[in-house]
Amino acid sequence: MMETLLLAIVATPGVTFLALGFCWLAGWTPTERFVSRVTAVAFSLLTAGAAWLAWLMFAAGVVSVRISLGEWFRAGGYHFPLALQVDRLSLPMVAITAVLGGLAGSFSVRYVHRDPGFFRFFLLLNLFAFGAITAFTAGSFDLLIGGWELVGVTSVLLIAFFGDRPAPARNAVRVFASYRIADIGILLASFVLHHGGSTLFTPMLPGDWPGQGSRLAAPDALLAGFLLLTAASGKSAQGPFAGWLPRAMEGPTPSSSIFYGAISIHLGAYLLLRFEPVIQSAPPVAWATVIVGALTALTGTASHRVSSDVKTSLAYASMTQVGVIFVEIGLGYPRLALWHIVGHAVVRTLQLLRAPSMLHDYHKMHAAVGGDLRPTGQWMPAVLPMGPRMWLYRFGLEGGFYDAWLDRLVIAPVLRLARALSGRSKDAPA
Amino acid sequence: MSPGPARDRLEAVLNHEAHLLPVQGPIGVFIHHNTLHAFQHLPFEQAVRDAARTFGAEPFMEERAFREALARGRILPEDLDAVLAREPDVELWSGGLTRTTLRRAMLWPGVGDFRPETVEWAIAESPLGSDPRLDFCLRHMPEPAPATAVRPVRPRDGVLAAAHADIDEVVEPHLIKLCAAFLDQGLANWPMPYREEGFWRATLRLLAQPATLTGGGLRRLDEFARMARPWDAPDAVLHWLGLLGVDEDDWPGLIQAELLALPGWAGLMHTLEHDPALAPHHRAPASLMDFLAVRLLLTVAATASVTGDLTSWRLTRPPAAPHPRAQLARAATLADAIGLAGLPSPALAALPGDDRRRLFAAIEEFGAWERRRVLQLAYERRHERQVLLPLAEHRRSSVPATPARAAAQVIFCIDEREEAIRRHLEETDPGIETLGAAGFFGAAVNFAGIDDAHGVPLCPVVVKPRHAVEERPAKGEGEVYARRRALRRVGGQLVRHWFVSSRTLLRGWLGTAGLGLLSIFPLAARVLSPRLHGEMAKRLYAAFLPEPITELAFMRDGAQGQVAEGGLLRGFTVEENTDRVTAVLGAAGLRQGLARLVTVLGHGSTSLNNPHESAHDCGACGGRRGGPNARLFAAMANHPDVRTQLRERGLEIPADTWFVGGYHDTCSDDIDLFDLNLAPPAHAADLLRVRAALDRARALSAHERARRFEAASYSLDAAGGLRHAQVRAEHLAEPRPEYGHCTNAVCIVGRRSTTRGLFLDRRAFLVSYDASQDPENQSLAAQLGAVVPVCGGISLEYYFSFVDNEAYGCGTKLPHNVTGLVGVMNGYESDLRTGLPWQMVEIHEPVRILFVVESSPERVLDTMRKNPLVWEFLVNRWIRLAVLDPAGGPPLAYRDGAWEPVEGGDVPLPVAPSSMSWYAGRREHLPIARIQGAAA
Repeated sequence: MMETLLLAIVATPGVTFLALGFCWLAGWTPTERFVSRVTAVAFSLLTAGAAWLAWLMFAAGVVSVRISLGEWFRAGGYHFPLALQVDRLSLPMVAITAVLGGLAGSFSVRYVHRDPGFFRFFLLLNLFAFGAITAFTAGSFDLLIGGWELVGVTSVLLIAFFGDRPAPARNAVRVFASYRIADIGILLASFVLHHGGSTLFTPMLPGDWPGQGSRLAAPDALLAGFLLLTAASGKSAQGPFAGWLPRAMEGPTPSSSIFYGAISIHLGAYLLLRFEPVIQSAPPVAWATVIVGALTALTGTASHRVSSDVKTSLAYASMTQVGVIFVEIGLGYPRLALWHIVGHAVVRTLQLLRAPSMLHDYHKMHAAVGGDLRPTGQWMPAVLPMGPRMWLYRFGLEGGFYDAWLDRLVIAPVLRLARALSGRSKDAPA
Repeated sequence: MSPGPARDRLEAVLNHEAHLLPVQGPIGVFIHHNTLHAFQHLPFEQAVRDAARTFGAEPFMEERAFREALARGRILPEDLDAVLAREPDVELWSGGLTRTTLRRAMLWPGVGDFRPETVEWAIAESPLGSDPRLDFCLRHMPEPAPATAVRPVRPRDGVLAAAHADIDEVVEPHLIKLCAAFLDQGLANWPMPYREEGFWRATLRLLAQPATLTGGGLRRLDEFARMARPWDAPDAVLHWLGLLGVDEDDWPGLIQAELLALPGWAGLMHTLEHDPALAPHHRAPASLMDFLAVRLLLTVAATASVTGDLTSWRLTRPPAAPHPRAQLARAATLADAIGLAGLPSPALAALPGDDRRRLFAAIEEFGAWERRRVLQLAYERRHERQVLLPLAEHRRSSVPATPARAAAQVIFCIDEREEAIRRHLEETDPGIETLGAAGFFGAAVNFAGIDDAHGVPLCPVVVKPRHAVEERPAKGEGEVYARRRALRRVGGQLVRHWFVSSRTLLRGWLGTAGLGLLSIFPLAARVLSPRLHGEMAKRLYAAFLPEPITELAFMRDGAQGQVAEGGLLRGFTVEENTDRVTAVLGAAGLRQGLARLVTVLGHGSTSLNNPHESAHDCGACGGRRGGPNARLFAAMANHPDVRTQLRERGLEIPADTWFVGGYHDTCSDDIDLFDLNLAPPAHAADLLRVRAALDRARALSAHERARRFEAASYSLDAAGGLRHAQVRAEHLAEPRPEYGHCTNAVCIVGRRSTTRGLFLDRRAFLVSYDASQDPENQSLAAQLGAVVPVCGGISLEYYFSFVDNEAYGCGTKLPHNVTGLVGVMNGYESDLRTGLPWQMVEIHEPVRILFVVESSPERVLDTMRKNPLVWEFLVNRWIRLAVLDPAGGPPLAYRDGAWEPVEGGDVPLPVAPSSMSWYAGRREHLPIARIQGAAA
């Protein structure tokens, strides 16, 4: 029963995506009404399924459900196992995907009404849900990567939703490039894990989450841990990948909210939580996770404090809390981190959905307190002299000089290299 | 040249070029105005084309849209003929084709749209492919004028051409961040340091920080920022212009181009420089010169970083090569037009050279913009007939109104959105008469309600209020009020605290990890059941927030008076009150015939997910809500001393007449009435009757409004229509809470009896005016002086935001990002977007507003001539004008100094039993009809 239910949960958004996609390929662009009804049914089923599964597991006292669907393919010594699992880590993630995705979908029926991209938006929303749920319920690392990539692709396509303007397209490419580089980590990690045997989670991480063990040899754990941290940082906009997050705010508001408030931004943290035993078995990785998270949180909060537009401000606020979540994981508090993810996702979703109402809300609040809204951060003069404060302000305003060093250290050398390789002069059109 | 004159000259150039910038202020108070105010001294048709060239915008709707209008009968071929007949005609050669015939053929069926990029394909798709005339035109058409070498106007153009690098891409991200931080009204936790010193100084201070890093494109920024430290902004601009090698003669071109690269931000700096009071919370000393100095600093640094020097960008460049198929596209257009004009190939070949050249010239002169101009005129002509002919027919055939006293009167704002509820009110209860007056009801005040932080001006923007009026708790209510205020403060601080702390680092950790999950309840309620959420919020307020009985402090004893803050007079003397009541009642033709109960309704609009919320509020109240004005007017007119004075001035308010003020929310269609506790008991029955009629009418009005929304089913009943409207007002996701002024097209200044019973489709501003009570034209002058700029501005803002939503409007709302509480950007960072979003204008018909005044042509022209602004609107054709002479006769349309009777049988006046039966099942613009139930 639980196995069937799990399968149905994973299949629902995938089938919805395929059905809508086939309609479109067959030459019929479904009407808004049809698309929204189908999506509403899909997300309702998803939510009900997740709740039912949780109840069944609770009633039966089961903490993990695992199913194997055999293999997708086999090539030489390699085989791609199709295995699903749901435990106390994946179930909450599936639940917030279903609930928050459904709410963002319901919101979008009104919000995106009459936009020429309505169908595309919902097609991508369903594909995203399928990708996220696959990543959360994957029983093997290879399958997790599949879901992970679907989330990345839909995220980029929704940033470029308004592709008739240059800025969204340009920023989508930036995000795409950041994802690609970070995903080198996840691919190399899969090689390392294969090196240690199967990528199925069951033998690799014995026991039930939390408190699993790790069967990875110490050198493998160290290497895999760093690679996973790289991948997770890319997806969750941490450390060296922090700069893409504000640029992702080009899409329609509900997609910003579901991706960068709720699910996609926490996918990296989920990856670390899944491999938490591996990270804890390699202390340097754990320290690195803490350092990356803490530095990002500090940069993020500085940038948040000086941001003067709603969506950038919320992007940095998200980055800050995800940084804190990384710290919690690195310090070995997986339950707290999971709880934090769920709470943060809900808060941020609501805040991003309310972003266009900001003027209305602010004026109401302003009137209620009688016009007495003193700027925050009044404690700062007592702590910091003016010089460092000015520097900190500039640091925040320029997002920690992220774009500048990216330009100097990465983009310019790569372009120089490319020009040298192609033998073209600097003056040729790019 | 010594520095003094250079600075003066720079100031002059900047001031001149600044006129082109949008004047929109912070978006919390949205004032509709003519988007092309800078071109208003020119005739409309020329202005739109000049502006189109300056801003890279469209002057008219696309030709395709006009062709569709022709195909569906919105423009008739006879309209084209009539418009072309107004223009000079000439024979292209003796006894042959005339210019009008040629133009007529090029308009309809219409010459094809041949562009160089697609011309081969277009030819292959059309019969032109095998037409010998194409080849003939290709061989014989005149050579195009040779393109001349161009000198780049601003560094960005030169650098782009020389180094293939767009320096705007490195300059603007910095500039946008700095502008947003400088103008922020409280969104950022941490305001920009030293911004009280101005944009230029504050920016220099930030740039002076050690240990910072900029991208490669701004490598040399530090160097130039250090160089600029001793200079003030004008000095800096002069230095930058000098370094860039720009001669004084070229300043205007460069400055204009640099300002128009980000017109939204530059415009806001300029607007706030001239009216700092527009800033809602923090008055930073904005200055356009500062903006230009910063923009040029970044530009200079980027130019130097990319090209290595500061003057090579100025090199003249050869013109871009014409598109290889540009000639083919020209020839295709010529051949197509010749084919449409019916000139066969042999006849074309036989034309003498001069005739042929004249023919080709006549075709090329009638290019796309010219064709669209004529199509626009035809489009407007049809609209004019669709309005004037039914109006005349209605006037001819309706029974003169009976002079019996109305059971009640309701005075609405002139706003065209109130047209429906007025009609429904009269349909529901024929004993009620409705009137229209500008929605501030003569009471230009600075008003502070008990829940407001401070007073705000409630009057048209051109008026500066001189009087302050406060709402205060009534006697004995002070304690309740104190409790309310304390509770609201606690609530507000809690919200504020949560707002800040859920976003920062440590408190954010507590907020999201600790309390985060609780947000699921408001989230689910607001998205899944917004009406329930709204209802619950209301109940909670009612249960916990006590509501004191209040009154308005509006009377001042003696002329010396008490002075409130800001030098305003506190309230009005009896004399001043009397002036205001006379002005409104007199202009509306209510010197006699007042009913027992007169209700005055101000209006506004409340919605979520709508940074443009204020654009739906009352224009006559300066983009704010007009409830207090209505309440104040009622209190004035009820005051016994005022009534005594009114009687002395010959305006008799019957002893049994009582005024009630109220507020109509045009989004949720809620109506509140104020101060009912003060109404005499004898009026209880009248109040019941009016309240019941208003309740029915607002539901019907909401239902009629819902017909325009695709998401509203045709099967809704009146109650369902009201619910539909309320959900729109309450829903977080709704980008179209209401359609606002969209579709506005007409403004009728006259008696209600002229329009009563007509279905005007919420498209007509209705101004009550009775020429017979205004022998000196004083009221007319007051009415036109107010409504021409206001309604004209609204109509033109909609026109431009519709015809080019990207250049003149602010595009789709979906990626909008509220910035600094002053405006919206697209997505992550962009220019500040001004104008109206697509969702507000999508069903608009871009016509210039048609004023129909019920008075004699001479009186109307004499009155308009005396007001230069109104006269400019008229003679430069930014508005259209017609009169209905009370003496009878057909409507007269004003055309360039002459009056032309509008007659004919081409537009009937259909009759329908009720409004609902007329619009049922239809979403499109509907013709004017007579509604039997609503006629008096």
